[in-house]
Amino acid sequence: MASPVEQFKLKSLVPFELGGVDLSYTTSSLWMTITVVCVTAFLTLSMRGGRLVPGRWQSMAEMSYEFIANMIRENVGAEGRKYFPFIFTLFMFILVGNLVGMIPFAYTFTSQIIVTFAMAATIFIGVTVIGLVRHGLHFFSLFVPSGTPLILAPLLIPIEVISYFVRPVSLSVRLFANMMAGHTMMKVFGGFTVLLGVLGVAPIILLVALTGFEIMVAVLQAYVFTVLTCLYLNDAIHLH
Amino acid sequence: MTVKNFIGVNAVLYFYIALGGAQAATASDASGPKLPQLDIETYASQIFWLIVTFIVLYFLVAKIAMPRIAEVLEGRQERIEDDLDKAETLKKEAYLVKVEYEKALSSAREEAHEATRRAQDEIAKHSAEVEALANQKVANMLKDAEDRIDAARTEASSEKETVTDTLEQNVARDIIGDTVKKLVGINVSPEDVNEAISLTLKGRVR
Repeated sequence: MASPVEQFKLKSLVPFELGGVDLSYTTSSLWMTITVVCVTAFLTLSMRGGRLVPGRWQSMAEMSYEFIANMIRENVGAEGRKYFPFIFTLFMFILVGNLVGMIPFAYTFTSQIIVTFAMAATIFIGVTVIGLVRHGLHFFSLFVPSGTPLILAPLLIPIEVISYFVRPVSLSVRLFANMMAGHTMMKVFGGFTVLLGVLGVAPIILLVALTGFEIMVAVLQAYVFTVLTCLYLNDAIHLH
Repeated sequence: MTVKNFIGVNAVLYFYIALGGAQAATASDASGPKLPQLDIETYASQIFWLIVTFIVLYFLVAKIAMPRIAEVLEGRQERIEDDLDKAETLKKEAYLVKVEYEKALSSAREEAHEATRRAQDEIAKHSAEVEALANQKVANMLKDAEDRIDAARTEASSEKETVTDTLEQNVARDIIGDTVKKLVGINVSPEDVNEAISLTLKGRVR
């Protein structure tokens, strides 16, 4: 039986090399492309009518838009509007990437640590730059929680600094581990089903429940990733 | 932030599960790579395509999808506000109409009251006039009747007196004439007696 993590192996679909670096178009790239197409189709086709009383699809597109708009308004405030397109794109990209990954035989690119880490690192660097540009050196007061007694500063500042620099790691590992663990578990139960024959009904029932659970995790993790991005952005803009 | 903590714990848990999976993979297939995700060879390609797809999606979403959604939402918002405004105006109008109606109603009621009072006054005046007139008439009639009665009474009594006087005079004249005749033996006519009496009365008066 194949290892449950073999599903995460990438297949090169279109070999492509640039300056000695392998930039092949792989299954991961294919599903990123599918995600882009799905998100674009979902957000544009559903709004084609632009009806006053929305139908189901239009309602879903409007709801996702307003969901992120409210998230930014609540977590970042009025200054966050500038970053709305980015955060909305991020949310839709992760959400749809997670969800299309639930299609049997599909590839979940968010189960790749490098993908989630690239996104998290980009956000981390971007947020830090925004903070530095906005507040200059005053930005470093972020590492001194307000109302800290001076005696505790030597202890608290390193903790704050560490927790700040761990952000991209925790952000990326959270999404990656959730997606990978979910798909691994599904694969394991799928393997049980094959091994047990008639008795495989039991793992199938579990698998059905697990599929529902994984769809919830797919949505939840997209939300968590986005909301944490908003919180980091808020920290950079408002310094706590 | 409890939610954040929960998510953190959750992530750590999942990470351990994932690591467990990785170890299982190593155990079953000792020679192969541990986790496909840790294969550094694929990183460049993944990052490259992530950047490409994400940027494409960003422009599609930011330049095409979002303005359309914003437009529709704003249109709806405007429409709702418009409708609310209209409703407010209509409500105000309805209120004004109601006030006017109530005013008209109260003025009409007052007018009705006024008309009723006037009619009552007129009726009272008229009936008083009629009564007064009737009273006057009755009084006049009574007075007429009394006058007539009085006149009749006076007439009757004067007539009676005249008759009596005449009778007495005649009787007195006759007696005087008879007496004179008996005493003097001269025939004296009643006219003479009358003349004598009147002469006597004249002389007395004088």
